[in-house]
Amino acid sequence: MTIPFDLLLIQVINGIVTGMILALVASGLTLIFGIMDVVNFAHGELFMLGAYLGSTVFLTTGNFWLALGAAVMGIGLLGAVIQTTTLRPLLGRDPLTTILATFGLSLVLQNYALWQYGPVPRKINEPITGHFSLFYLEYPWYRLLVAVLSAAIIGGLWLFMKYGKYGIWIRATTQDRVMAAAMGIPVPLVHTVVFAIGAAMAAASGVLFGPLTGVNHAMGLDFILRAFIVVVVGGMGNLGGSILAAIFLSLLEAFASIWVSPAQAVIVSFVVLILTLLFRPTGLFVPTPK
Amino acid sequence: MAERWQGEPWAKDIWCSGKTTRRRFLGLSAATAGALGATMLVPAPWREAFGQAKPYKIGIMQPLTGVAAAGGKTALVGSMMAVDRINKAGGVNGRPLEAVIADYESKPDVGRRKVEKLLVEDKVDVAEGGYLSNVCLACMPVFDEHRTVFMVGVCLDTTITTTKCSRYVFRPFDYAPAQAVAFAHYLVNKMGKKWHIAYLDYAWGQSTRDAYVEQIKKLGGEVVGGTGIPLGTADMTPFLSKVSGNFDGFFGIFFGANAVVLATQAYDLGLTRKYKFAGDGAIAESTHLPALGHKIEGFVGINRYVPVLDPPLNTPHHRKFFDEAVAALKKIDPSGPLPDRYVQSNFEAMNFLKLGMQRSGFRGRDDTMKLIEALEGMDVKESDDFPQGDKTLRKEDHQAFLREFIFEIKDNKHRLVEVIPKEKTVVPPACTFSKA
Repeated sequence: MTIPFDLLLIQVINGIVTGMILALVASGLTLIFGIMDVVNFAHGELFMLGAYLGSTVFLTTGNFWLALGAAVMGIGLLGAVIQTTTLRPLLGRDPLTTILATFGLSLVLQNYALWQYGPVPRKINEPITGHFSLFYLEYPWYRLLVAVLSAAIIGGLWLFMKYGKYGIWIRATTQDRVMAAAMGIPVPLVHTVVFAIGAAMAAASGVLFGPLTGVNHAMGLDFILRAFIVVVVGGMGNLGGSILAAIFLSLLEAFASIWVSPAQAVIVSFVVLILTLLFRPTGLFVPTPK
Repeated sequence: MAERWQGEPWAKDIWCSGKTTRRRFLGLSAATAGALGATMLVPAPWREAFGQAKPYKIGIMQPLTGVAAAGGKTALVGSMMAVDRINKAGGVNGRPLEAVIADYESKPDVGRRKVEKLLVEDKVDVAEGGYLSNVCLACMPVFDEHRTVFMVGVCLDTTITTTKCSRYVFRPFDYAPAQAVAFAHYLVNKMGKKWHIAYLDYAWGQSTRDAYVEQIKKLGGEVVGGTGIPLGTADMTPFLSKVSGNFDGFFGIFFGANAVVLATQAYDLGLTRKYKFAGDGAIAESTHLPALGHKIEGFVGINRYVPVLDPPLNTPHHRKFFDEAVAALKKIDPSGPLPDRYVQSNFEAMNFLKLGMQRSGFRGRDDTMKLIEALEGMDVKESDDFPQGDKTLRKEDHQAFLREFIFEIKDNKHRLVEVIPKEKTVVPPACTFSKA
């Protein structure tokens, strides 16, 4: 079997670009799970609402960056409201209650978007429209910009977690919630901030991805399913693991699609998920507990 | 604030403290019963006009939530436009139509369950709707079992009126083999001989691909490759990146949000600028054009319905339908989209049912066979009921034949390129009804 090197290189770029977008979605998800023990089934809807809010601002101002900023702020704020009103009262209860609450919330938000914005898909124009030649393709610069921006946002989050006051509080709360509270860290506030950050990251990925797909009420569904796989494969709550898993799975799918049909290529993620659960249930990028 | 807001003084009146007295219980019960009674006393919209006439119950199944909800909501507009219009004009056989709407959540298993409910519990007389082909296929045996007519409003999978055809199921609009016959000559003679087909990898996409492959080959063309993409794929770029080689045209078979993703990402990779871009008209429905912008410019497609008022669609019938549909769609979408084929075919499907019920003297489900016989072979003329044009509902397979429109997208609008008369879309029937 001959290896088509041009296609191989194209798929490396595709895998990294898709992986970075996926990493941005998954890092919000894993952050929320790691600190709050909440599996947020409404994450895809926050991604979608971010894109809708971005498209509304874009339609009004014609400015992509303003749309991105407004979506991040608006959905971050919505995340804070959701955490305070819906999830905080469930703190300490059976984890199933938060799963049901976020699942219900996802249905509400999805149908709200359909009611508010209607069935016609919306558009966000990409801020740069140029292309460069990549073998037989004309590859859009915007896809590379999305990968770079996703990396920058994730990098910013890492710096915030490492050096920021709230970041240190968040890490302390992750390690030991009770001890953090005893040391005077306002744990409920930390939870709210974490959920808001996760929601804002989902919104950012929604706006960044909007120009590639159009904005519709169901746009979060495909990405959120894959983000859940990424979070499990990367290790639940492990930020670095999720980023590596996102790139790893996207590259695997891209490579697989060289030789097999797309329908078979998308199965690869599920195979990796099953193998991970069977042989490394704590995640591929987390040391196995002794 | 207190941890339990129910304990706050302001919450006293809206929160049950747990002290339920007999007086409070009786008071609440009386108020609830009163409210329910008042609701029941308000007549349904059709009651005033029709007095005590028993309504026909029409089951309408659409995906109103889930992935296909956007299309389902648009399709429902067509059905309800027809129901309202029929009731305003005196109903059918002096009886009003009562729509019983079932949301199948874009899932085949839910669809089957909801259809069971429509037929067993709601006891609908006939049914209409559809949208997702896999749901229509899953539900067809249920209509067979309960011997009830199902007038398909959207589902396009070829096998619905070929290998899986049913005596109880009618499709009053086109299907892929007819579209392929109508479009292939234009593709091969005016656009190019060699084609690559990208399609949605499920029932409708596969059967439509097969129909085009057959017709393109028949006319001396060639299909050099195919890319099947799973339903709901948000990032198609890794799959589209493989599309390369020596061919003239890139042909797409997609609908809904998937169509927007395909057209956007194929443009971004340069495919639709390097190759001629054609495909099923569902790619460039009027509802997609705002999201696609300049990326769909130059697309050539075929559709049973295009929202233009140019000849031959400049009839008073079409203008009336067009204006009413625009007003109805504005109610569900503030951007005010133009009508698409889903609105048109559901509107006309309901009107086929009306005509069949009138001609057969249909009184209820016991008269289903009479209704089927009335519908079989029915010819209808362009009118307010059928603004798209003349149609024939063929007896042998319950498949309709109608004129097709080849169009191009120019300046983000549909422009008619060619009209194919219904006679030139006819393909032989491939259906054997099982013995009822």
